[in-house]
Amino acid sequence: MSKTKINDINRNIYDIKNKDEYDFKIKKGLTKDIIEEISKQKNDPEWMKEFRLKALEVYNQLELPTWGPDISELNMEEIATYVRPKTSLNNSWDDVPEDIKSTFDKLGIPDAEKTSLAGVGAQYDSEVVYHSMKEELIKQGVIYTDMETAVREYPDLVKKHFMKCVPIYDHKFVALHGAVWSGGSFVYVPKGVKVDIPLQSYFRLNSPESGQFEHTLIIVDEGASLHFIEGCSAPKYNKVNLHAGCVELYVKENAYLRYSTIENWSKNMLNLNTKKAIVEKNAQVDWVTGSFGSKISMLYPMSILNGEGAKTEYTGISFAGEGQNLDTGFKVVHNSPNTSSVVNSKSISKNGGKCTYRSLVRINETATHSKSSVSCESLMLDDISISDTIPVNDIRTDEVEFSHEAKIGKISDKTIFYLMSRGLSEEDAKAMIVRGFAYPISKELPVEYAVEMNNLINLELEGAIG
Amino acid sequence: METIRVNETPVRTSRNFLINNVKLDSNILPEKIENFENVSIIGETSKIKIEKEINNCSLTYGLGDILTSQVDEKANQKLKLQVEGKTNQDIQISFELDEDNPNLIDMIDITAKENTKATIIIKYETNKAVQAFHNGIIKVLAEKNAELKVIIVNNTNLMSNHFISIENMIHENAKVDYTMIDFGGKNSITNYYSNLVGKNADNHINTIYLGRENQFFDLNYIGELRGEKSNINIEVQGALKDNAKKNFKGTIDFKKGCKKATGNENEACLLLSEQAKSLALPMLLCSEEEVEGNHSSSAGKVGDKELFYIMSRGFEKKEAMKLLVRAKFNNIIDTIKNDDLKTEILDEIEERLD
Repeated sequence: MSKTKINDINRNIYDIKNKDEYDFKIKKGLTKDIIEEISKQKNDPEWMKEFRLKALEVYNQLELPTWGPDISELNMEEIATYVRPKTSLNNSWDDVPEDIKSTFDKLGIPDAEKTSLAGVGAQYDSEVVYHSMKEELIKQGVIYTDMETAVREYPDLVKKHFMKCVPIYDHKFVALHGAVWSGGSFVYVPKGVKVDIPLQSYFRLNSPESGQFEHTLIIVDEGASLHFIEGCSAPKYNKVNLHAGCVELYVKENAYLRYSTIENWSKNMLNLNTKKAIVEKNAQVDWVTGSFGSKISMLYPMSILNGEGAKTEYTGISFAGEGQNLDTGFKVVHNSPNTSSVVNSKSISKNGGKCTYRSLVRINETATHSKSSVSCESLMLDDISISDTIPVNDIRTDEVEFSHEAKIGKISDKTIFYLMSRGLSEEDAKAMIVRGFAYPISKELPVEYAVEMNNLINLELEGAIG
Repeated sequence: METIRVNETPVRTSRNFLINNVKLDSNILPEKIENFENVSIIGETSKIKIEKEINNCSLTYGLGDILTSQVDEKANQKLKLQVEGKTNQDIQISFELDEDNPNLIDMIDITAKENTKATIIIKYETNKAVQAFHNGIIKVLAEKNAELKVIIVNNTNLMSNHFISIENMIHENAKVDYTMIDFGGKNSITNYYSNLVGKNADNHINTIYLGRENQFFDLNYIGELRGEKSNINIEVQGALKDNAKKNFKGTIDFKKGCKKATGNENEACLLLSEQAKSLALPMLLCSEEEVEGNHSSSAGKVGDKELFYIMSRGFEKKEAMKLLVRAKFNNIIDTIKNDDLKTEILDEIEERLD
């Protein structure tokens, strides 16, 4: 019988390797001297240097997680935590060195900037190499710049918010991030300003046996709105690379933020990223996440609904193929009355890949009349893959509506039969079901990413599903 | 204060989620275990062979080393039941903990031989005044085509501690049903594990819990499906008053080879006070493609609309509330065919909801 095959993601574009050329690469390992050297190289103000050293102390005190995927292969003695590319920050692509520009060209970033983005930041290894934003947003007072510039030019704003939403004590890799962070984006949208066209930052790690630790800090002030897109990729090397970025989002009263991520790291990457949002009165943060790459991911964006009437939605899809262990999910804490959260998660496992949905919904005593609804579905495409669902639902008051549903299984024979009775071939029926499964997520993505995702879930008509 | 860690989940999640295990004051363990005399066995025993010696207490999961070894080393009641035929009559084992028998450490081993059928009721009760301690293990082996129903009623008082570990091995075409009525204990901690090894092995667990004052329930149910077309159904309905708190940890684990297996898990918690707390971890683990697994979990108070509807029929709010809670429990209570026991349970629910 002819069977359907779901291809692995075509990584040709992402696997382009440039020569490992850099202006400065810190020696491997993690010591006080190394942190001081990074701080010196980055020309940190004194407070940031002290902060880094404190974070290193905390890193050394904290234990590795006792749950989730096995990350014992990570040896910080083998990782260079800071690699400065051979260019400084530019605001014209013409000034970016040819090999780096060519990489971003192939990833489609400059084209997307022309057609569908209001601003772009591009990071290569540890530093942002390009940053630009449309003139009209600058006039409206929107700030979109690299984190280093923000530390220098907006010290009060940065000091007030930097690693306050995600404290260095949260877990070991947040502490690591605090010690070695470099690059990333800073966005401030002033009160009442609606940024209708998305801003996008793209993070590219080229250097082998290194890490990327970008810090993204976004403040959407009262009544303002923003759609921010984050993309990331790296070529594959034989040894482990590490990504331990940190995203802090502050969504003030009546503000709206949509944070979309397409994560497509190479399959030697350990992606131990941390993302958190603090959402104030009547504000909303929506997370849209597609996790396709990396060898191991541990990624659980979190919304803290602090203000009355605050809302959050999480829409996520994971696609784990051979050798991948994607442990992803969402955390939400309801702290105020009339808050609401909606979670819609999907995962597809194939060729021995493992997808885990791990989550927390906590509705505290103070969050009366709050609502939360969680739905997660997992699709298994063969009998060598693994799919787990590990949700925690912590309800601490009675005036709430909470529901959680999860399903796991293969493509339903009945559904295939139904579609075939309508004239579709078995292969087309299966293809339609897989696309339909992913559709609720892909429709939330910007159109160019939805197309990319559909390409990623590319169906061929000869081969084998199940 | 020294603590003991019990009832670990089969898969850990973040420590900050406060659900991987339970920490209890080690003082709850009695220093001395005396003999236990208050046990009665009634009902049709002609097809069930009963012995008082068991040697093996080993468990795949259980509540943890300390509590498992306590049963292994200090059990003051051991019962080995072998079901050898089909019987429609129940057999009822009752343990009554009182001032003279405050500590019960029991081990019950049940084997349902091929093509047999039986219902076994196990009751744990305390009188009102005693501060009792119960730690027990129930092991069940259901051989090919056996049909076994086990009803466990925990009606210990609010000063007592109740610990129970249950382990089932279910073979081809065997069917094991549990109904667990969990009213009691200051701490009521249950570890339940089923290993569905046989083709078409079937396991249903229906649980009711009803907590009040400062009661704490920790229910850790694990079902591993290995046999083709095996099935597990977990249905847990509970209500919490006052400051009561409940952890529900349910794991359905589809192991490689359990083709066409199904697993369903439904957990619902009614919160009857602002201080009551519900923590749930309904896990689905899957290493086999051709299976169907579902879980659902909900928590909240009694619906205003339903309450209003019943009150519009002339009931007072308190009565309407009681009716709605009982309605949630009815499907499970109806699985009990023994009318006396059913009445006893309904009366107890009535009293506890007052």
